[in-house]
Amino acid sequence: MSKSTIQNSIRKLRFNADEMTQQQLADKVGASRQTIVAIEKGNYSPSLELAFRIAHVFNTPLEEVFTYDENKPLDKKQITCN
Amino acid sequence: MTYQEKRSIVNIFSGLIIAIIYGLFVFHRHQQGRFDLTLDYKVWGIIFLIFIGVSIIARIIIYIIFHIINTITTKEVEIPISDEREKMINLKARSNAYHTFSLSFIAAFVLLAMGKPFYWMFIVFIISGILSEIVENTSQIYYHRKGI
Repeated sequence: MSKSTIQNSIRKLRFNADEMTQQQLADKVGASRQTIVAIEKGNYSPSLELAFRIAHVFNTPLEEVFTYDENKPLDKKQITCN
Repeated sequence: MTYQEKRSIVNIFSGLIIAIIYGLFVFHRHQQGRFDLTLDYKVWGIIFLIFIGVSIIARIIIYIIFHIINTITTKEVEIPISDEREKMINLKARSNAYHTFSLSFIAAFVLLAMGKPFYWMFIVFIISGILSEIVENTSQIYYHRKGI
């Protein structure tokens, strides 16, 4: 399955936040560690609500956590879903 | 392997084992002549209802045993929370299972149209039920690993 067109800097932000673990972030946003892993890898695009909660944990604007990669073409499945 | 993946594998095998054991039990009684599955459709209804009850009880027991073994081996006491990704995976997997069952449902009517005996439809229903459960749990494992 292709990676998402939405890129993120969660890994970097976790590192800057006293090396916050994936589990700690998951607990703070009310998600599972597997979901955080999937988001970081680009295997899952979170809902707007979860994206805002993640940005809120790092006290950062949403667009600094998630960026949209315009150069990456959408695959057929993503067009259908969106 | 995550808790959800292990649970899906347990679901596949427990579903298969329960259906095979129950199926053999019913078939054995049919061979003994206690009832005739080819003619008595009332028996099919009773068999299905008992199977649902047996399946629910057996699954509860298997799930408790699985959770105990998982807790002992991984030291993780709490069951991982079901978040939005988990719900999305379940939804997609259920959709795949639904399509599988729908196809089997059509297959059952195709068999009837071909002149096969009526009881074949019940057999196809049982097989499609097992098949759709396998598809659902396999889909869950796939989406957990590859992403959605």
